[in-house]
Amino acid sequence: MQHPIRGHHLTATLLALCLAASAHAEDGMGTSPNLSISGFGTAGLVHSSERHADFTSSVLKNKGAGASRRWSADVDSRLGLQLDLALHKRWSAVLQLVSEQDLDDRYRPRVEWANVKYQATPELALRIGRMALPMFLAAEYRKVGYIYPWVRPPVEGYGALPFTSGDGVDASYRWGAGAVRNMSQVFYGHADVALGGPLRAYGRRISGLANTSDWGALSVRASLIGAEATTALGSELFDAFAAFGPQGAALGRRYAIDHKRISVASIGFNYDPGRWFAMAEASRTRSQSLLGATRAVYASAGWRQGAFTPYVTWSRVRAAGPTSDAGLPLDGLPPALAGQAAALNGALDSVLATIPQQTSGSAGLRWDLRANMAAKLQYDRVTPRGGSRGTLINQTPGFASGRTAHVVSVALDFVY
Amino acid sequence: MRRAKSLRHAALLLLPLLLACAAPALAGELAVIVSARSPVTALRADQVAAIFLGQSARFPDGVEAVPLDQRLGAPLRDEFYLRVTNKTPPLLKAWWSKMVFTGRGQPPAEAADSAAVRRRVADNPDMIGYVDRAALDASVRAVLVVQ
Repeated sequence: MQHPIRGHHLTATLLALCLAASAHAEDGMGTSPNLSISGFGTAGLVHSSERHADFTSSVLKNKGAGASRRWSADVDSRLGLQLDLALHKRWSAVLQLVSEQDLDDRYRPRVEWANVKYQATPELALRIGRMALPMFLAAEYRKVGYIYPWVRPPVEGYGALPFTSGDGVDASYRWGAGAVRNMSQVFYGHADVALGGPLRAYGRRISGLANTSDWGALSVRASLIGAEATTALGSELFDAFAAFGPQGAALGRRYAIDHKRISVASIGFNYDPGRWFAMAEASRTRSQSLLGATRAVYASAGWRQGAFTPYVTWSRVRAAGPTSDAGLPLDGLPPALAGQAAALNGALDSVLATIPQQTSGSAGLRWDLRANMAAKLQYDRVTPRGGSRGTLINQTPGFASGRTAHVVSVALDFVY
Repeated sequence: MRRAKSLRHAALLLLPLLLACAAPALAGELAVIVSARSPVTALRADQVAAIFLGQSARFPDGVEAVPLDQRLGAPLRDEFYLRVTNKTPPLLKAWWSKMVFTGRGQPPAEAADSAAVRRRVADNPDMIGYVDRAALDASVRAVLVVQ
C-alpha cells in the first residue's frame, strides 16, 4: 500500500505547486495561466498467422493477436490526453493520461506524466514529478503513433521495456557547438509498474543520461540508463529452488529480480531531409537476472510521395548471455526429489527462454489523411529464434521457436 | 535516350512558363522579420528554422527569440516551413506532436495575417515572424528573404 499513497502524495504536491505558482502568476507576473488540452490516439487491428502464441507490442500487455484471438485490437489501440498548463514565463505543468490494454486486460487510464517544469534559462529546464525516462530514439513518444512512420516502433528493442516513465527529477540543457545543436538530459528517480494482479515491479535509483545532437537533417541520440530492479515475479520458483539447499539458493540469487542492477544503453540516428528518411538504432540491455542480457538493432527507411510514405524495416534482438541453465544437479538425489528438481530445472529453462531472440522484416505504408491523422498498413515477418519465444507472449505447448509468424496490422493514428 | 532528352527539352522550355504561373500563387517572396528596434540584422535559414522549430530560444547574438506564426492553414505558412525547414504540413504536425508529447515545448503563437504579424513583431524586439514581402514597412527589418 506504500506506493499508491506515494502516488497520491505526488499528485497533491504537484497540485499545490500549481496553485501556488498560478496564484503567483496572478500577482501580475506577466502572462496569465494558459491551459492547453491535446491528445493522441491509435485505433489498430492486428492479425497473426501464429496460432500458438500472441503477437503484441509490449511485455506489459495481457493478450495479443494469434493464440488468444486471430484478430486483436489490443496490440496498438490506445488513447492519450495531455493537459499543459503554462503558469508563467518560466513555470509550466503537464499531466498526461494514457489508456491502453494492461497486464490485467483492462484499459484503466494511467498517469504517464505529471510534472512541473521550471525553465531556468531558455537553455536549461528542470522538472520534478513523473516523466518519460530518457532512453532510445523514440521511447519518449512511442505511444504517439502519429509521430513515427510505422504502426509501432520495432518490438525487438522497444517491446521489452517494462518502465516507460519514472518519478523523479531531471535537467535538460540545450547547447550549440558550431552548426550542431545539442540537448543533454540527466534523470534521477524511481518507478513502479503493475505486472498484473498483485505483482509489481520496482525500479529504484534510476539514473539516466541522454544526448541528442541535431545537425541539419541528421539527428543522433545516445542514452544510458541504469536502475535497481525488484519484483516478486518468479519468486515461487526460486523459493522452491531454495528448499534444495545452497545450490538451489545460489540459483535463486543468480536469477531472481531482487535488487538487481539492470542497464540499457542505446545509440541511434535519424536522417530526414523531408523527401525520405533513414534511421537505425542499436541497443544493449544487461542484467544478472532472469531478464538476461540482449543486443538489439534495427534499420528503417522510407520515402514520401505526396500523402504516402512507403517504408521498410529490419530488426533483430539476440541474447548476449546464456538462455538456459543446467540447474540443480540430479545425481545422488532420491528419485522423488530428483523428479521435483528436474521439474524445477525445466521451469527455469522455460523462464530463460523468454529472453527475446527474434528477427523481423517489415514493409508498410503510411497515408497522411489530414494534417493530424494518418492511416497505416504494415506487414511483419516475425521469427523467434534459438529456442526463444521472441517477443511473443501466451505461448501454448504447440509453440515452436523458429517458425515465422506473418503479422498484418492496420492503424489509424491521430493527434488533436 | 532520345525520349528522355526531348522530355528534358520540353521541361526546360516549359520551366519559365511554369514559374510565371506559380509566382502569383506563391504570393511572391517571403520575408523573415524582426522589429526595427532589434539589433539583429541578418539570419541564415538554418538559424530561422531552429528558432521556429523550438530548437533554439535565442538569436545568434544571445538575445531571447520569440517566434510568431501565421495562422494554421495559411498558404504563406506552409510555404515558409517547406522552404526554410523542408517540412510539409503533416511533417510539421508530427514534429510539434513530438515536442508537445515529450514535454519539450509548445508551437509558436499565431497571428491572423501578415499585417498582424508585422504589428506584433514591430512592437516587440524579441519577436521574429515572417510576412509576404509586400507587407514590409519601416517598423520591421527583413533579416532573411526567402525566394
